[in-house]
Amino acid sequence: MGRTYVDSVLVRAAEEARGRGARLTEAEHLLLALAAEAEGDAPDLLSPAGLDRRAVERALAREFEDGLAAAGVSVADRELLEPRGSARNPSDMGESGRRVLEVAMTLARKRDLGPAHILLGLLELKVGTVPRAFALAGVDVDDLKARTLAVLDERGKTD
Amino acid sequence: MDEGEGVADARDPAADARDPAADLRDPGAELAAVVAMRRLADRMEDAAVEKAMRAGWSWSDVAQALGVTRQAVHKKHAKRLIEAGVSLRRRR
Repeated sequence: MGRTYVDSVLVRAAEEARGRGARLTEAEHLLLALAAEAEGDAPDLLSPAGLDRRAVERALAREFEDGLAAAGVSVADRELLEPRGSARNPSDMGESGRRVLEVAMTLARKRDLGPAHILLGLLELKVGTVPRAFALAGVDVDDLKARTLAVLDERGKTD
Repeated sequence: MDEGEGVADARDPAADARDPAADLRDPGAELAAVVAMRRLADRMEDAAVEKAMRAGWSWSDVAQALGVTRQAVHKKHAKRLIEAGVSLRRRR
């Protein structure tokens, strides 16, 4: 048996984290990895919600600027707002990434986990960058969650 | 709304997440502001250290200006700067 989907998405999420200079792999990096998938459940579910890869990047950028604005910080040098890669790989998985995986793991065995399980984990997050970015981008989280659950149902999600 | 002090009555954090424009009395917004400023500070540090090293500053100079140890600034930035092709001064 080759690597599982989870293994592959975790590697890609870590690459996303590194590409953005993050020290930990967080939920937003899992979201970026999902949004970069060319086919399958991820684009099938994310595209109708207006969340292609570029849109996710824009939503995360907006969340960042919103955080700065809330602190009363405005940045003259726009280049500082652009993600910047790091020479180092993230050292670990952050708490938000762990939460996503925990939720996904309650739905299926590890080798059966797919993009829809990861997405549901992302949609279940209550705090942090991802739910804030979804809210700022006007994503209908409840609708996306319902469609994700429907896909998982179709797949016959357990055993 | 919140009668009593019970944990079960604590506000649902999701309600805050849905309203990102909420002001800084909302802990979610306050924490997001901290994350954003930390990220901005990191990026400013990367850019400023690179600029200083390109201008021929020593690790010691940069460390003094940043208020950290020379070892810390070296550990944090040396690899990236070498990969970026910045020629670094040997010592001091």
